[in-house]
Amino acid sequence: MASAPSLAASISPSTPPNTVARAELSEIDASTKVPAIFFLGSSLLWLLAGTLFALISSFKLHNPAFLGDAEWLTFGRVRTAHLNAVVYGWSVNASFAVALWLMARLARSIVRHSNMLMLAGVLWNVGVTIGITGILAGDSTSIEWLEMPTYATPILFVAYALVGGWAVITFRFGRSQHIYVSQWYIFAALFWFPWLYSIAQIMIIFAPARGTVQALVNWWFAHNVLGLWFTPIGLAAVYYFLPKVLGKPIHSYYLSVLGFWSLAIFYNWAGVHHLVGGPVPAWVITAGIAASFMMVIPVVVTAINHHLTLVGSFSALKYSPTLRFIVFGAVNYTLASLLGSLMADRNISEVVHFTHAIVGHSHHGLYAFFTMVMFGSIYYIMPRILHREWPSATLISVHFWTTAVGAVIMVVVLSVVGTKQGLAMNNAAIPFLSMEESDVVRATLDGLRVRSYSGILITIGHLAFAINFVWMLLRPRADHNTAPTLFRNPEPDLEVSSR
Amino acid sequence: MSAQDPQPKKHTLEQAAASDEKIQQVHAILLREKPEPAEGYSPMPLFVLGFIAAVIFVVSVYFVHNRGGLGPNFSFREAALVYDERYDPATAPGAGAAKELTPEQIIAAGKKLYATCSTCHQANGAGLPGTYPPLANSEWVNGSDERLIRILLNGLSGEVTVAGNKYNGLMPAFGKVPGGGYNWTDERIAQVLTYIRQEWGNAADPITTARVTEIREQAGASRATPWTEAELLALP
Repeated sequence: MASAPSLAASISPSTPPNTVARAELSEIDASTKVPAIFFLGSSLLWLLAGTLFALISSFKLHNPAFLGDAEWLTFGRVRTAHLNAVVYGWSVNASFAVALWLMARLARSIVRHSNMLMLAGVLWNVGVTIGITGILAGDSTSIEWLEMPTYATPILFVAYALVGGWAVITFRFGRSQHIYVSQWYIFAALFWFPWLYSIAQIMIIFAPARGTVQALVNWWFAHNVLGLWFTPIGLAAVYYFLPKVLGKPIHSYYLSVLGFWSLAIFYNWAGVHHLVGGPVPAWVITAGIAASFMMVIPVVVTAINHHLTLVGSFSALKYSPTLRFIVFGAVNYTLASLLGSLMADRNISEVVHFTHAIVGHSHHGLYAFFTMVMFGSIYYIMPRILHREWPSATLISVHFWTTAVGAVIMVVVLSVVGTKQGLAMNNAAIPFLSMEESDVVRATLDGLRVRSYSGILITIGHLAFAINFVWMLLRPRADHNTAPTLFRNPEPDLEVSSR
Repeated sequence: MSAQDPQPKKHTLEQAAASDEKIQQVHAILLREKPEPAEGYSPMPLFVLGFIAAVIFVVSVYFVHNRGGLGPNFSFREAALVYDERYDPATAPGAGAAKELTPEQIIAAGKKLYATCSTCHQANGAGLPGTYPPLANSEWVNGSDERLIRILLNGLSGEVTVAGNKYNGLMPAFGKVPGGGYNWTDERIAQVLTYIRQEWGNAADPITTARVTEIREQAGASRATPWTEAELLALP
């Protein structure tokens, strides 16, 4: 960028020196436009489908007769369809869009031949559609997080290889001298995911390993999809948007390095803590628990780095939708991870495992952290690639408050109910199910009802988001200078020029 | 791009954009953006280092206390069968007593070990006439325990007469001795010798681990080559 100031100066004495860089960013954004909108649009559809599946399965938990005679919508299928729709449909599609856009921008690289990405995107969504239809039709492999039938998974792998390859190519031909921390996370995640997915598919489904090794591989995969794919993409987005929106640098490069490498080293071991009490060698589980404790290091280091970047700029949270979603997500990353380390401990795991508390914890990580960060990223990316503003600040506000409040209620309620459920299950005096006295199952019903209400709240938020998204796509492009859609107008002395 | 870039003023930028085709592409949404993110280089707070050290210390202590027997004297193979994280092979119930095998268990263990010997001496202990000497009804097997233990510890080479026939071959060293290839423990040697002394009609006394250890320390450990018949016949 050495030539930028002189070139810009030659155009107009009043042009600030970073204008050419902005023109370059505009070109890069334009090159990602079609695939990014495709991935984001698909992710939105899967988000709505996944939310619907979630509501159905949540209602079934306290009202088993609900849709009880529909074979395709029995609990075992619809709950699995929910998980696969939000993981492979919503989260991965959104990750692709955000990771590609960030990678192109940070590498200063135009995404070439983006029609190849479109092919990959179509392939991925066809694969997910076939997989979820297969699950609903009863073809699930019944292995958690890998339920998609074998006729869908190879399509997903090919589609992933195209997307991942394209992102790596974008990085390879980038012109940036400096590799920013977001790029480390995205680049690593691009390689971690195919490693996890292929090993898990081969060792569990295509050429099954023997005995408990399958269970080990299963939890290694299921835990690492969160830790080595969604977490790095989510953290990459936080590391980009936090300083971007605030207009100040990330607090410390050294903390970023420490956070990245400690995550890379420790996370891979942690998944085994799900097998506490199982027929797995004790030292393997102890190693998993030890690694889960060690995860406190990357989490605390990253939290300090983000907090010290944000400190002094909290007022920006009043105006910027992106920042509010991102900060909510980052705070919940810290909380969910610290609670996760605690839950790995043998004594606590004996209580909470196989209860609703684990479901609550999954939603804490994948919803309150990852999904909220993706929402924030989408609120920033869409105006840049479409050159249009978000039509309604009210809808964004509704989206934020319903999802934030809904997520907090869901996580708290499920954790409390799950812990009580676990304590009751470990108490031999309390029957699991009984017609006369109080039992384990009946005691969870009130909490599960509240969870359904929080789900309705979240659904309202998703609908508000969908309306805003479609409205934005259909709305004509403004010719004149436009203003960002903020929650409220900033005070004149406060610089909030982006969101 | 760096943090030092001055903040753009919107109205001047729009004027500039009108003057240049390339910059006309730049939309207001981009112009109002803050600079691309950069990293500060604030040093790591000191308490972070202390915190990391504390976490590593606590986790190490946790691992050592819950390692399920894994350690220098307990292989991964053995630890793979331990499901109790507090298990310690040294203090486990029956750890000492389990070593005291009954005579039947010693014979059974010796029979298992004999699979190695049977390649030459055959499963029926008869050897191969002219090549490998027999063990059944052999005066070497049923006679002096010291000679027999020495043969197994260090091996035997050269001509040897067994049950009236001459053999000339090489018996390899099985003990934990210099140049030995098998490195069997004294316990294993005692087991296999007890087995061959009481099988196929042989009826000699069993050989104890302590006796093997005694002879290995006296003679076997300082010798790197096999014994000869003459050397062994000089012994009681």
